[in-house]
Amino acid sequence: MMGRAPTRDEKRLAWALWVLGFVALWLTEAAVGYTRDESVYFAAGEAYASWFRQLFQSPARALTDAAIVRAWDYNHEHPVLMKTLFGLSHLLFHDALGWMRSATAFRLPAFAVAALVPSLSFLLGSALYGRAAGLFAALAFLLVPRQYFNAELACFDVPVAAMWLLVVYCFWRALEDAKWGLWCGVAFGLALASKHNALFLPFVLTPFALWRAWTASEGQAEARTWLLRGVGLFAAVAVFYGLLVVSLGGGEGFQRKFLLLSPHTLLFVGLAVGGAWVLKGVGKVSAPVTRAMAPILAMAVLGPVIFYLHWPYLWHEPVERTAWYLAFHAKHNHYAWFYLNTLLREPPFPLAYVVVKTALTVPTSLFVPMVTGFLALAARAVLGLFERTRPWVERPVTLAEALVGVNAVTSILIISHPQVPHFGGVKHWFPSMVFLGILAGAAVSRGCAALWERLKVKRPGLHFAAVAVPVFAVLLAPAAVYSARVFPYGTAAYSELAGGLPGAATLGLQRQFWSSHVTGVLPWINEHAKQGARLFLHEVHGGSFRDYQRNGMLRNDLRPVGSPLDADIVAYQYHQEFREHEFLTWQAFGTRTPVTGLYLDETPQVVVYVRPEPR
Amino acid sequence: MELGGLVLVALLCLVFHLRLPGRLPSEGDYRAVAERLKAEARPGDAVLLFPWWAERARLFVPPDVPVYGYLGSDRDDLTAHPRVWVLGQPELPRSDEDGFLASFLPERRAVGTPTREGPLSLALYENGRHRPRRFVATDAYAKARVYLESPDGTRRDCPFDGRAHRCPGPSHLYVAPEWHEILYEPRRCLWMHAPGGPQRLVAEFDGVPGGLGLRLEGGIIWEHAWPKDARFTTTYMGVDDEASGSQLLEVAVPPGLEGVQKAEVRLPEGEARTVKVWVRSENADRRQVCLDVLAVEPAVGVRG
Repeated sequence: MMGRAPTRDEKRLAWALWVLGFVALWLTEAAVGYTRDESVYFAAGEAYASWFRQLFQSPARALTDAAIVRAWDYNHEHPVLMKTLFGLSHLLFHDALGWMRSATAFRLPAFAVAALVPSLSFLLGSALYGRAAGLFAALAFLLVPRQYFNAELACFDVPVAAMWLLVVYCFWRALEDAKWGLWCGVAFGLALASKHNALFLPFVLTPFALWRAWTASEGQAEARTWLLRGVGLFAAVAVFYGLLVVSLGGGEGFQRKFLLLSPHTLLFVGLAVGGAWVLKGVGKVSAPVTRAMAPILAMAVLGPVIFYLHWPYLWHEPVERTAWYLAFHAKHNHYAWFYLNTLLREPPFPLAYVVVKTALTVPTSLFVPMVTGFLALAARAVLGLFERTRPWVERPVTLAEALVGVNAVTSILIISHPQVPHFGGVKHWFPSMVFLGILAGAAVSRGCAALWERLKVKRPGLHFAAVAVPVFAVLLAPAAVYSARVFPYGTAAYSELAGGLPGAATLGLQRQFWSSHVTGVLPWINEHAKQGARLFLHEVHGGSFRDYQRNGMLRNDLRPVGSPLDADIVAYQYHQEFREHEFLTWQAFGTRTPVTGLYLDETPQVVVYVRPEPR
Repeated sequence: MELGGLVLVALLCLVFHLRLPGRLPSEGDYRAVAERLKAEARPGDAVLLFPWWAERARLFVPPDVPVYGYLGSDRDDLTAHPRVWVLGQPELPRSDEDGFLASFLPERRAVGTPTREGPLSLALYENGRHRPRRFVATDAYAKARVYLESPDGTRRDCPFDGRAHRCPGPSHLYVAPEWHEILYEPRRCLWMHAPGGPQRLVAEFDGVPGGLGLRLEGGIIWEHAWPKDARFTTTYMGVDDEASGSQLLEVAVPPGLEGVQKAEVRLPEGEARTVKVWVRSENADRRQVCLDVLAVEPAVGVRG
């Protein structure tokens, strides 16, 4: 199937799922603590929003590099689409209108973008495998506790998964409707503006575009010639860029000589102009080939343009600052991470890590259909390759199915590389999870259809929903129970396969991270801390301390300190790599007995000590 | 068939979630255990947690009974304790009681009948690995003479200020007992940061009895032991006989060697002696040593 527009009913259901996701996230967010990164993004959002104020009041001054750097230098290791939305939402809904508390206002755009995932999963899944599959994929995404938790945060991991899905959806639609090619380019630009994961998208989608264009141009010499011209254009530009790098003495020289009027820019303009010429030419001879090539050209041209335009920090120094940004992520730090009783501190990391971690965190009743859905697709693809086995396959794998299958493994394969940083739980491969959800939907829908066919023999009037609804209920119920049980402590979620949180603790897996579980002990601290007490909230970012106070979750008279030595109360976050901090508290307080703590299914998450009163 | 499998998995998951709350102890269960410990625990007893991470018990166990629970504590000899109470939760998912007992039981004997409070089990064991202690440097530290010693024998004293023996130079050069982590294990040990260069940080202790095992146990704390970077240097810690100048014990801790390092020698019978406990490392960076020196009797073994 080469893409199709949703039916009216599908559009309605997609909107309903978006609303469901958005409202559910909004209604439940207040319980979710502020992760270390989130408070940084809150502060960044505020700084960026203040620049927009300045732009409104004094545009000439706001557009100077000094003013831009003042506002946008903070957290320039990430592009700013989401942070800008967080900041503007805060400016409007909290500062100007006063409709909601500070944190909710920051998070609102994250909910809106995250809610695209169930919505788009449904549209793609429904088109490929039927409405039941799409619906299962949509609901399954929200019922994976770690995904739901991350969707609550003003961070980028779920937004970039949503953007990734949006790009793939636009690409797929473009194969049937040329104007979606342009949208694909826009979506790619937005994805680049969300997080650097998107940089891998062209490598995933280009082979599909070429495959489609190649098969569509079969027997059409002129179309094939235009296709080859297009490929030649991209190849020539790539070769010239390569020659530029070599002739200018490597990456640094290339970067230094990259000016507005330089061969570098000329090549990019050449690609855009040449690409438009190729599209115009091929458009006259073959619509399918045009539709296949258009999204790639749109991504190549609009992606970098949108990325540049969305980020004021790049406006005066685009090359140097983009290079810094890319280098930062190419050489990212490795944080300690506890995995199967071993503290991983540096590469090479275990190859199976991503698969094992996924298996042990995604609710098992959802993980198993993801596996069977993917294996069924892979088996059909492999069997379809050989003449002898081809008859065994009921229907060959379509390009769209292959697109889903490849995207289901891309992020997993990238993060599985032993040299790639492995901290952060499962969030770095969320883009894969979205597509695995669709394949899970396919597996469940296939099973429901088979059962329905059987039952229809005896009861011809039986409606499909009479089979699908109870099956959905049984498969989704454990995930719902598990989600409710662990909420809002998402980074501690471990599946039935792991044995839940206790099983995971025995297996020696990271108990939690990102510090947000401290909310579990804040009510006790608020009730028991003496006036003006000095508080050491271990692992909690200074910004988060401020945000807890700002949002009424922590008493304003309590003061943050940086060490147990200076504290009256310590809330230690149980991390295997930070055991020393708890023992320093024993040393500082002269006691090994905590007063309270957050224990989830017996696993220590946050342990609270109070300095004994001097006798 | 595929759907049947998926439904079966989901039902098993539901059963897991429905059973889990019943496998978790209540506060009342913990309080009942604490009451028994309060009534029956003797001075010198310890509580060992199974599984090792189930530390919620610390909230309830009487503060004078030390609680052990760290990654690796199943294998801890707990030599300081003649009796060990095992506070277990064998019904927790993935609790491997047999594996725990395989590590724990050798040289130990159950005393009395184990009791149950909800899913908590409490069992008392006689600890045959117990080694009565006749000298513990960490306890005797206040009377030690501490100094920095150069290779030519010259000394710079580290006077005692009532809490620590503080040496001239950087603020981390002092000797005092502190709680620290050595490869996840909490240890109360003597903080003796290597001073750097050829000099040694020395603590001299009198009255170490003869005819016993002299043990040196220590290591580099926390994450500092882990890096193998070439600019870090091997740390040496040891014990010398003050009178003869002979070396009784020495342990080398190269960069990257984690965990508590142990060495033991049998002291000849005779008068109590003075020993010099020392530490040195050419490069002091990340050589945060915490150690203890003990004079111990042989393991008591189990009776019967």
